Amino acid sequence: MENQFFLDAGIPPQAPPLHFGSSLSDWQSLPSAMEMEIQSQDCFPTGYGLRYESAMVSSPPASNCNMSSESLMMRKLGSIGNSGEIPHHSQPMLAASSCYSTPMNSPPQLNLPLPRPMALDSSVADFSADPGFAERAAKFSCFGSRSFNGRTTQFGPKDSVEIAAYRSNPLAPNAKLPRVSSSPAIKQRVAQVGGTNNRSELAISQEESTVSEQNPEPGFKGSNSRKRKARTMETSPSPSPNASKVTETNGASNEKRCKLSESNANENGSGKSEEDAKGSNTRAPEPSQDYVHVRARRGQATDSHSLAERVRREKISERMKLLQNLVPGCNKVTGKALMLDEIINYVQSLQRQVEFLSMKLASVNTRLDFNVESLMSKDTFQSNTQQQQQIFPINSSAASAFLGHQSQQNPPLHSNIANGTMTQCSVDPSDTVICPKLNQFLETVSQYPTFCEGDLETLVQMGFGQNQSQEMALHSQNFQGLNQVSGMKVEL
Amino acid sequence: MNKYNPPRMNPSSLRSRFATRFLRSLSKINAKKPTASSSSPTEIFRRYRRIKVAADKSMAYSVRSRRTWSRAMLWKLRTRPCCRRSVKTSTIVRKTRHEKQNKNTTTTTGEDGVVFGVEADELRELVPGGEAMDLYNLLDETAHYIKCLTTQVQVMKKIADFYSP
Repeated sequence: MENQFFLDAGIPPQAPPLHFGSSLSDWQSLPSAMEMEIQSQDCFPTGYGLRYESAMVSSPPASNCNMSSESLMMRKLGSIGNSGEIPHHSQPMLAASSCYSTPMNSPPQLNLPLPRPMALDSSVADFSADPGFAERAAKFSCFGSRSFNGRTTQFGPKDSVEIAAYRSNPLAPNAKLPRVSSSPAIKQRVAQVGGTNNRSELAISQEESTVSEQNPEPGFKGSNSRKRKARTMETSPSPSPNASKVTETNGASNEKRCKLSESNANENGSGKSEEDAKGSNTRAPEPSQDYVHVRARRGQATDSHSLAERVRREKISERMKLLQNLVPGCNKVTGKALMLDEIINYVQSLQRQVEFLSMKLASVNTRLDFNVESLMSKDTFQSNTQQQQQIFPINSSAASAFLGHQSQQNPPLHSNIANGTMTQCSVDPSDTVICPKLNQFLETVSQYPTFCEGDLETLVQMGFGQNQSQEMALHSQNFQGLNQVSGMKVEL
Repeated sequence: MNKYNPPRMNPSSLRSRFATRFLRSLSKINAKKPTASSSSPTEIFRRYRRIKVAADKSMAYSVRSRRTWSRAMLWKLRTRPCCRRSVKTSTIVRKTRHEKQNKNTTTTTGEDGVVFGVEADELRELVPGGEAMDLYNLLDETAHYIKCLTTQVQVMKKIADFYSP
């Protein structure tokens, strides 16, 4: 269990004592390392504690020692899970720690009398020597106990992988991960003790930090990909292959591209892509957040520029597909230029609709008081049956509602509009004069057969500026029309 | 509808955020109106302008600064010439101008600019803040802008329906 955290810190319980002793001296020179040792001490389980106890028994008897720190240490150990055994252990532990009250002198003696090499001994010495250990133990006990449950294998290269996997466990908050991985004490200890595991640990810790960065941002858009790509052209490949692979994995999954080959860990994609292009027909781009690793298709240019362009093009076509889903009636349109035209028209019509509706609200609200709560309740209780496909016909019908204060227009209006917006027609004529963008409405409306020529002319003559005298005159005309219309509400 | 089942509305959805803000600002605008000249065209026009600004502002605030277009729209609204609260806008303008300058560093790249030259420019004019974006981001912003516009239209339509006799 928490064994593993201790092992992770670089102290294999079965390691030879000398090895441990040398590392101990290093630790003593690092107060923060001492902390970690101390905290790891808090986490060791029952079985380990038993071994510890036996080691304590075998150690030479004590001189004076700091009883308070020891008792604190007992309590901490007890809190981890050995509560039933701590009182029993107290005597031998006292004896043991007492002999370590002079930690600087004892390290070589520590390990020799021990039947089993106990990493704990030295850390016990550290415990007693450290006045503030209780606080640090408290701080880290939760850390150790939380993160390292259920690991029973010995520390080694395999464990490093486990540790990496464990550290990227979503249970552990991401805030903790960088702290672990970037702690200089751990790294230093790993460097001294881990030996061969040193580099892998560091690499993995780098991986972890990148993984922990990537995990909270699943939805990150690739807007930085261009900058990062330029940057990665210069970085050295040594620490980055691991990191890039990890980021690439995350980015690839995020971007819904699933192929991640082991061979394309290079930022310089052209060299790799040559051999790939010859042999493979796989998909070309694998965009990720940091690196864009592109594999050239068979028979295609492998120049880095063309690869980058291809990536851009594919991203853009992906966006266009998304937009196609948003804009109604775009499924039949093929070709980017036409699609863009449709999108532009749609955005324009939406903006005009907003203006039209605000105009309507301005006129409607002259009469009614506003009750926010009732309106909100009404909003929540009205299920939204209006689909987006209706917006286009609504646009036309709204425009014709503007101008359609003639009776003959009502039947076409009635047929066009699928929701209950026809009650608006009573107030529309007054609004039309003021709307400065009405000319654009007219452009769209002129396509529709329901539009009356006479209305167009009158509106054109009105001028769409903000000339107040004109507005007054026109309003007097329109209010007469309004009186005619008010009796003609069409309801669905 | 025969059966009445209240739909569960997500209280933090874009629609509800926009609706609350817009209704609040609408009630403020209505509270200010002088009853005497309420139906004069100039008054209606002024209220139209105010409501339109309120709608745009509510939408931009509902999106906060997560999107370039909302930031650009908020900046535009704050630096309007008729904006009375000049003191407050000065600090905000500085911040958003900085953002705008950051945006201006990205430029259109060659190939797709050639393909979509005219339409892309039109789209840039339509989408607030689109002048300084490359095509990919522009399309991204357009998609979100369309989504927000449709929400805005739907909510405003419902309000108008509710209050029209």
